Amino acid sequence: MITKSTAIEVLNEALATGADFAEIYLEEDDQTTIRMDNGKVESCDDKLTRGAGIRLLKDLRSVYGYTNNITRAGLLRLAKDLSASFDGKRLLTVDSITKVRQGKKHLPKIKYSEFPREELIGMLKSSSDACLAYDKKIVRCEISFAYNYKTVEIFNSTGKQFGDVHSRGRYIVTATARDEKGIETFHSRPGAQKGMEFFLEEVDMNEEAKNAAKSAITLLGAKECPSGKMTVIIGNGFGGVIFHEACGHSLEASSVSKGLSVFSGKKGEKIASDIVSAVDDGTIEGAWGSGNIDDEGNPTARNMLITNGVLTSYLVDSFNGRRMNEPGNGACRRESYKYEPTSRMSNTFILNGKSTPEEIIANTEYGLYAKDMGGGSVNPATGEFNFAVNEGYIVENGKISYPVKGATLIGSGKEVLLNIDMVGNDLLRAQGMCGAASGSIPADVGEPTIRVQNMTVGGRGGTVK
Amino acid sequence: MISYKKIFDKAAQEGLEALELYVSENSNFSFSLFRGELDSYSISDSASVEARGISDGKIGYATSEKFDSTTPEYLVSHIKQNAALTSSDDPGLIFRGSEKYRRKNVFSKKLHEAGPDEKIRLMKDFYSAVTKKSEKIQEVEISYEESEEAVTLTNSYGLKLSSKVNYAVVFAQAVATDETGETKSGMVFRILSDLADFDAEETASKLVDDTIRQFGSGPCDSGKYKCVFAGNAFASLLAPFLRNLSSDEVQKNSSLLAGKLGEKVTSSRLTVFEKPLEKNMSFRYFDDEGVATSNKTLIRNGVLQTYLYNLTTAAKENRESTGNGYKAGGSAIGVGLRNVFVKPGSLSEEGLFEKAGSGVYITSVSGLHAGMNAQSGNFSLIAQGFMIRDGKLAEPLSLITAAGNLFDMFNQITAVGNNVEVRMNGFYTPSVLVKKISISGK
Repeated sequence: MITKSTAIEVLNEALATGADFAEIYLEEDDQTTIRMDNGKVESCDDKLTRGAGIRLLKDLRSVYGYTNNITRAGLLRLAKDLSASFDGKRLLTVDSITKVRQGKKHLPKIKYSEFPREELIGMLKSSSDACLAYDKKIVRCEISFAYNYKTVEIFNSTGKQFGDVHSRGRYIVTATARDEKGIETFHSRPGAQKGMEFFLEEVDMNEEAKNAAKSAITLLGAKECPSGKMTVIIGNGFGGVIFHEACGHSLEASSVSKGLSVFSGKKGEKIASDIVSAVDDGTIEGAWGSGNIDDEGNPTARNMLITNGVLTSYLVDSFNGRRMNEPGNGACRRESYKYEPTSRMSNTFILNGKSTPEEIIANTEYGLYAKDMGGGSVNPATGEFNFAVNEGYIVENGKISYPVKGATLIGSGKEVLLNIDMVGNDLLRAQGMCGAASGSIPADVGEPTIRVQNMTVGGRGGTVK
Repeated sequence: MISYKKIFDKAAQEGLEALELYVSENSNFSFSLFRGELDSYSISDSASVEARGISDGKIGYATSEKFDSTTPEYLVSHIKQNAALTSSDDPGLIFRGSEKYRRKNVFSKKLHEAGPDEKIRLMKDFYSAVTKKSEKIQEVEISYEESEEAVTLTNSYGLKLSSKVNYAVVFAQAVATDETGETKSGMVFRILSDLADFDAEETASKLVDDTIRQFGSGPCDSGKYKCVFAGNAFASLLAPFLRNLSSDEVQKNSSLLAGKLGEKVTSSRLTVFEKPLEKNMSFRYFDDEGVATSNKTLIRNGVLQTYLYNLTTAAKENRESTGNGYKAGGSAIGVGLRNVFVKPGSLSEEGLFEKAGSGVYITSVSGLHAGMNAQSGNFSLIAQGFMIRDGKLAEPLSLITAAGNLFDMFNQITAVGNNVEVRMNGFYTPSVLVKKISISGK
């Protein structure tokens, strides 16, 4: 998007007042969103975003700015404005830029831009029809299909240039079921960092839409979930949001480095039950949260966060890493050029254990089986988290007994990880959008089926004694 | 920036029947302090043009942040292509203009002109004020974020409207630890249109008190309780409830308030207004389709007064838009609200505690994106607060959930307080007393 000589000029302008590091991040992102409501295309929307972010570091201070004006003049002006917040002498000068070669693992096989939109819309329509035809009680089917093609270029004052391409696509279907007693909705939302081949070969949109309809109908007939402390079995896939919220955010250098996390200074200590191992892996081919490099140019990595219950690694970006005396480990991400990057998760999940999901249920006398989870949130300082159960069942005497709705799981990360007493062998990842300081980014959560003792369940169906 | 004329010319040349450009220009200035020292600093400017156009009677969309000679072609060709793929029965509408617009100047020159040094100094004073309040405070993070947002809406019928606002948000988070090693965190925010409005001492006291008073907190017994919701917590429940006033939801069979116009839908204690013309950071005299906005009553003494319409949903019922057409994440127009005010009652917050006698006081709820279903009204949210015993606040509560159904709960409001809290997204809500809420704890 800019020439090497412009990059050198801009970096040197940025370094003029004593910054010890300067970086230019350029991005062009071509996005398309199609929205369908009850089989009719409500809108087709194309959006072209383009801009640059410049970051300067000096010891433990960072300065960031962005602009849409990526001409030489626009970037020089921004660099000058930003450098004005330091008042030292120049420490370094960039003489040359070398392009760093890296893998290109996540490229689409069938580019969305080359797949006929009419055909894609036909596929969406067919899934909408399948959803609406599932049952008379399905009164509405909303679909959104979004894809993008994003090109990134990074130049920094170590004289390096990096580049990456991300193309993601995601299908979200929402089924609304209604009867005389009320309304319930259910979503299904598969996505990948792949091209159209993902929806032709790996995911059947009709099945996804039918499953959403089925779950919405189940919810109509579900009882309110009872509340109190109980054994909770959390289903594989999106159930991994428990780890994402209860632990993952608290391992990010942004809070760890400042002593703002419950896990600050806990490396090498036991923070989870012995049967728990967990990883953040940004290298998985075509996965929703992957990349060849992170958003400051470091190669992505498979970082073991917890090994047999012991905290083995944090998620570190190079700026917060300065406070911790650790280098960045490929975990620095941002939504777009409008965000200063920081430590974030990519694809984060609990590894397989030894039990089968059937064994876990059969060994549970009474409890909640949270088959599908909604999102959640956490306070990194206290580790207190909450998340919603989208689809839940009460387990009695080792068998799934009846569906329940309106359940919330709450707890503190410190306790829940230690209370995991069974881990299944059915690891599955699922796609989510993770929101934090550097914006909303695609991230996979995941886990096999797990069982947690003594969890607080919120609901309106009376109290469990 | 960009020549509107070139885009309109291109649209005419390509045979678009109408074209609207919605241009936003934003600039931001922000910084944060960690341990009282500047640790990040940011300046930015960005602009985008969101275009909607009518081609063969159908509407298409395209947005660009890239402004050069290719922009008119990009916008117009994508609008044409996208319009052709649209199959909605809804008419594509570009607005010719309202008869009257109530323009007001809400841009604060004082804030704009104050230098960065003055703002940094003010936040450093605030930091000192926080750390002086208690030895238990371990860490304080303070951020100051100032935004200037200009919007220009212009279309091929000659309509041209613009509005510009600026404001600053101060956000602070404190982490405190007591003798036993227990950790608590608290946060506070203030919205400013003038630095002189910021009271560092008062804000510091609020932050520190809110953090410190949580020590020793834990869950209460699970059960049903009378409940006082603080203004902010109430706003978190009111916002999803009001989504059911959207004519789009009503027309599409997704609102439980369908068919309830003129009927009692909440407790008669509740009166709710929308005041887009109130002079504050959420002020707007036109909506995102160019329709003049107006202040109105949504619920009067529990009776539903109106649904909210944009041009498209209004056309379906052969009536006028209520000026509630707002973009909802993308260029397409949905239904939205600005500046929601709940009419205060007569009791102070202490009066509400007294009236409750025993129960719980919820100061905040979170996890709304997952634990709240606006359509069914069911919610189950993690909450923080205090027990109410003998009409007074008692021990602090944490790790509890508050669960209920919005439609039931809004009918069970037995009193509205006379205090009003401001929420970041333009809600001005007092505390309320609710007859019964399910609390899950021990």
